[in-house]
Amino acid sequence: MSNLNTVEPFGEGFISALCPELILFAGLILLIVVPNLGSGKFRIPGTQTRVPWLLGGKRFKLTSDPRLPSWIAVLTIGSSFVMTILSFQDGVERTAIVSEGGTQLLMINAFSRVFELIFFGALTLAAFACMNRLDVKGVGAKLSTDELYNNRRQGDFYILMITCALGMSIVALAQDLFVLFIGLELASFSTYVLVAFFKESKAGTEAGMKYFIVGSVASGVGLYGLSMLYLWAGSLQLDVLAETFALSGSEALPMIGIGFVLVGFGFKVSAAPFHFAAPDAYSGASSPVAGVLATASKAMGIVGLLRILLIVAAPESSEDGTVWLVCLGLLSVVTMTWGNLAALGSTNPKRMLAYSSVAHAGYMLAAITAIGAWNWDETLSGDPGEAAIVVLTALMFHLMVLVAFKLGAFLVLSVLESEGGGSRLSSLGGLAKREPFLAVAMFIFMISLAGVPPLAGFMSKLLVIMGIVKVALGDMSEALATGSELGLSDVHWVWWLALAMVINSAISVYYYLRIGVVMFFEEPEKGRTGPLPAGWQVRFAILACLLATLFMGVASDKILEICETAAQSFNYNWA
Amino acid sequence: MNDWISIPLVAFPLISSMVLLAFVSNASPKVREGLVKPIRMACLVFSLLLLVLTTGMFFKYFGDVSWMDIQFNDYEYFASYAWIDSLGINWTVGMDALSFPMVWLTTFLLPVTIIATWNEKYGATYFPLLLMMGGALIGVFVSLDLFMFYVFWELTLIPMFFLILKWGGADRKYAAQKFFIYTFTASVVMLLGLITLFFLQEPNTLASAGSMTGRSFSIPELIDSARIANTGDNWFLGKTMQNILFVMLMIGFLVKLPAVPFHTWLPDAHVQAPTGGSMLLAGVMLKMGAYGMFRLPLSLFPHALYHFQLALMIIGMVSLVWGAIVCLGQTNLKKMVAYSSVSHMGVILIGIATMQPMGWAAALFMMFAHGIISPMLFAVCGAFKHHYHSMEIGAMRGMAKHSPWLATSMMFAWMASLGLPLLAGFVAEIMMLIALWHMISLDGWSIWWMVGPALVLALTAAYYLWSMQRTIFEGGDETQPPATMDGQIIPDISNSEKFAMLILAFFTILFGVMPWIALDMMDDWTQQIFNGLILFVGKGGA
Repeated sequence: MSNLNTVEPFGEGFISALCPELILFAGLILLIVVPNLGSGKFRIPGTQTRVPWLLGGKRFKLTSDPRLPSWIAVLTIGSSFVMTILSFQDGVERTAIVSEGGTQLLMINAFSRVFELIFFGALTLAAFACMNRLDVKGVGAKLSTDELYNNRRQGDFYILMITCALGMSIVALAQDLFVLFIGLELASFSTYVLVAFFKESKAGTEAGMKYFIVGSVASGVGLYGLSMLYLWAGSLQLDVLAETFALSGSEALPMIGIGFVLVGFGFKVSAAPFHFAAPDAYSGASSPVAGVLATASKAMGIVGLLRILLIVAAPESSEDGTVWLVCLGLLSVVTMTWGNLAALGSTNPKRMLAYSSVAHAGYMLAAITAIGAWNWDETLSGDPGEAAIVVLTALMFHLMVLVAFKLGAFLVLSVLESEGGGSRLSSLGGLAKREPFLAVAMFIFMISLAGVPPLAGFMSKLLVIMGIVKVALGDMSEALATGSELGLSDVHWVWWLALAMVINSAISVYYYLRIGVVMFFEEPEKGRTGPLPAGWQVRFAILACLLATLFMGVASDKILEICETAAQSFNYNWA
Repeated sequence: MNDWISIPLVAFPLISSMVLLAFVSNASPKVREGLVKPIRMACLVFSLLLLVLTTGMFFKYFGDVSWMDIQFNDYEYFASYAWIDSLGINWTVGMDALSFPMVWLTTFLLPVTIIATWNEKYGATYFPLLLMMGGALIGVFVSLDLFMFYVFWELTLIPMFFLILKWGGADRKYAAQKFFIYTFTASVVMLLGLITLFFLQEPNTLASAGSMTGRSFSIPELIDSARIANTGDNWFLGKTMQNILFVMLMIGFLVKLPAVPFHTWLPDAHVQAPTGGSMLLAGVMLKMGAYGMFRLPLSLFPHALYHFQLALMIIGMVSLVWGAIVCLGQTNLKKMVAYSSVSHMGVILIGIATMQPMGWAAALFMMFAHGIISPMLFAVCGAFKHHYHSMEIGAMRGMAKHSPWLATSMMFAWMASLGLPLLAGFVAEIMMLIALWHMISLDGWSIWWMVGPALVLALTAAYYLWSMQRTIFEGGDETQPPATMDGQIIPDISNSEKFAMLILAFFTILFGVMPWIALDMMDDWTQQIFNGLILFVGKGGA
């Protein structure tokens, strides 16, 4: 274990280590307080003296500005994002936040920082784009009741965004399954409400309800699994669990417990067969929120899966682990195929993107299976850590670039949605004539999702396939170099996952291209010919996504390096 | 030296076209109308600059290069710069006698296509897309890095997709999507093959290996290590693995070529594509498949090549014969020409499968000659469509009377394609026949293999002559303009079309009468690749 700093809560180095989270916390309080500031006065009881205490009353011009909450949220999450980037500058120190007894609660390392980057990046963009979403007119005291209501909603909406960010980053940091669960729930509950927040359509409330019910059942099952693990190991510390698992991992209790926990996270990444709520939730939620679900929330689920599968259940292979491996492999193929086939038939672009996100979950599960294959399968020798690092790097890179083009696609739909469209394929019609920038951006996001070079989506898919193939081939290259005769039967079966992946990407091209065809070559729907709703913020966010998609495809070198360091720091046993 | 010259060769058309497109897409429709002429002129000038550059390369104005006696796996204008270091991806480029003719052909066809389709509608986006297509194609031919190769390979799809989609015929949406999905599916299988190949190389042995993966994407280094490994009884990666990878790569290339039974996207794409798109598609894009075969599977997996020789021969023969037979039954002029492309691509496959240096040289020359002739065929089809508003053979009869220029061009192009001596196509076909004879007499194949080509010689003449008879000559004085014309007077082809036809005809004659201009370097190179590959491992190694 290389130079690990330990920091006690509020001890030395605590602030610098948890800087992004503390900023979020401060922003949360600001967001609650600031929009309520006004000329309110407090009368000292028994006197006529009124002391101005600034809360309530007639609000100031600035604090009653309906855009204020969103600006606070954007600046808060944005500065957390910037702080996270800055922390990469001279290498992330491994820092553990320990309780008084010395148990590790949170761990700050390159791995968690990368995921914080993903969460904060996605949420900043979404929050920024949302500034145009909720309809607000008028400023200051002239607000009517409705508009005031809207203004209140602004505050709530962005408070939820920030709590979501906070919960997600706790998941990335957690070293204890219980802490992880708390973070997960904080983020989940925020997203349940965010989904239901889209009150302009009836679908919003329904989607929120569905998402909440299915999600809470999944969480409950996960919690049950956690309790089993606790019963078995007497602790939920990742380290302790890993050690105990290595000693006697083949017992029934931990196996079932891990299975239950996987259900909880499987829902978060929307893997089949736990994905049924996802299309409803995505299509019911407002598009930026759906974008957050498809990127940040999914990344959070992946963190959970990685922690459980690779830290707890993986080291020091046990033969029974292979059962999980085969299950996971099958699940990944089912997930990607199901997602793609369902996307082929959906005419609602948001549902289509939801199913494509299910398919992407399948690709990521395939990658996790490959890491597991190295862990569990004793036939695979070679340099194991190296292979796992390639896959993990690929996975993180994939999640990172997903923010660029998946969220970007949802933001384009968001512009259409504020016009009342966006839920039918035909409402994209004629977009190229109405606003060429949006159409070109959407087309690039689509072909990036399909994995067409030289865009970021191609790089990420290539990396995942490369990782899987590398694991599958193991040390075959050395054997071949010495002249032995090897065929396909000598290749580990995870290679077929890579084949399933490429075939699935080929299927997916159809529905991604269809969007392009509709945008460029079909006439607009009736009554949708004029210019699209204004709003520079959402367009700026789309532009940022677009540039990131192009940049991370062509010049991915630096980001890959970051991901590689992060992958190495994930499990110090590999280094 | 001038090794960096390939960077502008690829980057200049790509970047300039993207700048033009970005510029145009922000303009209002009215402004866009006004921009057509300057943009068209700019694209023509840019493409002519590229042509000057590559022609200069041929005449050795840029640096001390020699196109003769290029060793196998040796490249002129070779350059390599790090791109994504951790994965071992480099910007590695270079040209040999395999890729240089293709690069020249691309730069030659670009201005010709622009001229031939001078009055295409929505010109402000059309011409930049052609330019982008050219850049991507050049990228495929010069790149010597598997990653780069794949990137450009797929990049060619995007401009072509839009060309078909926006400027195509009535059924263009179906055709464009079919084209994209068909070729994309094939190439992702190829991609998986490439990645498997990537990880099967011995780690950390090649110079440009990536820091994270320990492997290299560099084609020259891979070919070198394959040559070293293919000694004695040893085979690079072992026989089984060679066969598996060979098949995976060939799926990508055979679909692109296309060979029967993977050809069904081609007629749809061609019939719906606009003239300019068809010219580039048939002229250069199909050759990407043949180019890829030579560059990767043939150079890397000689054992698999022996193993699948018969299969390749059969696929080639079937493409050749089937393409020709289907041509006979076509009533659509463009579809007939599209199937004739399938037939001619069969010649390339047969040339490869003969395993004779001359057969390979024939394949190379076929790629080149077909790249000049088929654009002319499609230019004629385009002019036909443009003037008679129909593609049906027989929609217009007695064309010689109404449109002598078009009739003459058509006759010339048809003759060139059916292999009239002294025209470029003849050289390739006769070489293929000789190579086939060599194979039969030297390697003891059955004489019956000659039946296919002999039959096709007759069939090709039949469908071309028959279609000419029904369009150019039949009718006589009482010929009425076709019903689609509503009694309008039929104009002859425009001056720009005439000019493009003349250029194409000139080069068809030039390379028919003096084939050695291109053939010499191809001959040399195929000798070298045989020395490097086949003789090196010893015949009959399979």
